[in-house]
Amino acid sequence: MKKTLILSALVSLSFAAAQKTVTLPWSGAITGPTSDAGASYAAGVEDYCKYANSQKMLPGITLNCVIRDDQYNNANTQRNFEDFVANLNAPVFLGYATGGALQLKSVIQETKIPTLTASYHIGIIDAPDNTYTFLPVSSYSENIVALLEYVAKKERGAKVALVVNPSPFGRDPVVDARKAAERLGLKITDVQEVGGNNLDNTALLKRLEAQGAKYIINQNTAGPVANILKDAKRLGLLGKMQFMGAHYTGGEDLTKLAGDAAKDFIWATSYYLYDEATQPGIILAKKIGAQFKRAADTIRSVHYTSGMMASAIAIEAMKRAGANPDAAGVYKGLISMNGSRAFNPGFAVGPVTFSARDHIGAESLRLLQADATGNFKAITGAQRSAMFQLVHPMK
Amino acid sequence: MDLLPQLLIAGVVIGSVYALAALGFVLIYKSSRVINFAHGQIIATGAFIAFALTQKGVNFWLAGLIAMLATFLLGMLIERVFLRRMVGEPIIAVIMVTIGLSSVIDGLIHLTPYGAGTFGFERPALLTGQGIELFGLPLSKTQIAGVLMALGLLGGFTYFFNKSTLGITMRAVADDQMAAMSVGTSVERVFALAWAAAGLTAAAAGVILGLMSGLTLGGLAGIGLKVFPVVILGGLDSVVGAIVGGMLIGILENLSAGYLDGIVPGGGTREVFPFIILIIVLLIRPYGLFGTKEIERV
Repeated sequence: MKKTLILSALVSLSFAAAQKTVTLPWSGAITGPTSDAGASYAAGVEDYCKYANSQKMLPGITLNCVIRDDQYNNANTQRNFEDFVANLNAPVFLGYATGGALQLKSVIQETKIPTLTASYHIGIIDAPDNTYTFLPVSSYSENIVALLEYVAKKERGAKVALVVNPSPFGRDPVVDARKAAERLGLKITDVQEVGGNNLDNTALLKRLEAQGAKYIINQNTAGPVANILKDAKRLGLLGKMQFMGAHYTGGEDLTKLAGDAAKDFIWATSYYLYDEATQPGIILAKKIGAQFKRAADTIRSVHYTSGMMASAIAIEAMKRAGANPDAAGVYKGLISMNGSRAFNPGFAVGPVTFSARDHIGAESLRLLQADATGNFKAITGAQRSAMFQLVHPMK
Repeated sequence: MDLLPQLLIAGVVIGSVYALAALGFVLIYKSSRVINFAHGQIIATGAFIAFALTQKGVNFWLAGLIAMLATFLLGMLIERVFLRRMVGEPIIAVIMVTIGLSSVIDGLIHLTPYGAGTFGFERPALLTGQGIELFGLPLSKTQIAGVLMALGLLGGFTYFFNKSTLGITMRAVADDQMAAMSVGTSVERVFALAWAAAGLTAAAAGVILGLMSGLTLGGLAGIGLKVFPVVILGGLDSVVGAIVGGMLIGILENLSAGYLDGIVPGGGTREVFPFIILIIVLLIRPYGLFGTKEIERV
């Protein structure tokens, strides 16, 4: 009996010794500005990471799922990044905000830590210092250009206004949108910045109406867009103007805030939605959400799926790196995701493909439109924006 | 219809909400000379209490009243537990306590399901449907209700401070605590009441803001600081100042958005222009438009 106990203890110890721990870290806004999206995103990252452990996705490796709140503060993001790399020996970094990612670019280049962010700002993967930065899905710029292509197909020569967040996140697609509009024969009448605390948009909407702008494309978070939609409804402009927006403008957050004013809003995103119940990624997200007892609202959020996507890509890259997933191995794992080795976790409308030159994962996107019940229904199939590749060739 | 009257009306609407949100600052400062930097968090607390109750099936209006009662008690509790111990301490220490409180309340809200996420009140029947039109500007019933609630509360408190014994007592305490105590006034009771009243107005502001622009912790707590220029402009110790300051900031925001955003690339002047006016006003009247000019005689 004693011998058996000693033997089993030795086996357990040797198993534990063989079991390597690798950190999968995320830093983002669980509290503070944009935490309405960040908290669900963090839950997605964490749950997929724990799920990977429970499924033993990485043989011989236990993931240390580290989720840190940086309160949307770039200095906190940088501190977290340094801690992850220096003390936790993390081979990959999952980030969140545009500002934090842009600020860290040179450090990421220096430390050679592959990084995936929740921000889809194209500048994150533009030269310089772009060897190790990756976007999980299509960029905001591509979202906006795809919306412009949609407008051009509907009405050549249409007048379009851009309403963007007063930040790098919001301003990001403006240059590409202007170039694309010119090529598509559209007229951009105005580019206006609207922040999160803007409670009244009468002046903005009256001016856009006076300019004859018929299509209003938003690059913002759901809150300011909801306020604009409610004011547009009050002013009787919803039928006259078509409101549209990039990834962070739409989804359940928008319909919860704007109510019936969100009806007909057109949204560009690369992700599948909770109501698309037959999609394997959504089935998996629901299963994982239930496994880790997440609130129904969290599981329904597109940000929960987005967090899972980032986590899944990082874990797949680790898997491809083999028994010893260091930063170099994870980088090789990421850029191996193409052709027959493309990775398709099912959360987005296309497979994740990366290479040394291609740093956008799931490049396809769809346009969806809100119906009277607040649900978004696809109005296009999965597509890439041909125009985006012309106006913003990747280097 | 001309743009100007429409912008003025829209400014008054939003300004009255600012004024209501700013009222809590004034009530506390007026009686205790304390600036409460946790006011935004109390606004959020009130709004989320009301929202949570509506989610449990409580009638919207009743939920709003219960939330106001709850933040009334919360204000009283904060004063009793934290602020009363700070009487006579340096003002910077008291301000630091309120900054600390803002973090604590923020953290506590994060422990609830409402800390992160986006929520929206289901509009009560009374507030659905067509509103009214003023000078060609359609106003929703929510906006009208917001203005009426704000003006009602602001009017009520103006009357309270000017006509009621308790209101005059509160002003006396603000003016000179020692003198007030020497005639038998309970300064502690006055402070507690001021904090409680500020809590009550905070919940009202939170519910109106929630109806108008939805409920997010960041948005609601942020409004507490956004209205800070309102009280500075109007005068930290003046209810009338809060009303005029709120309206002025609301109108200035809308006028700048209407007339300057088209000229300035990217627009967004509404975020800056009121502050330019604020600086000019403060250079001329450092105590605000309606604030008490303090004269120290040596």
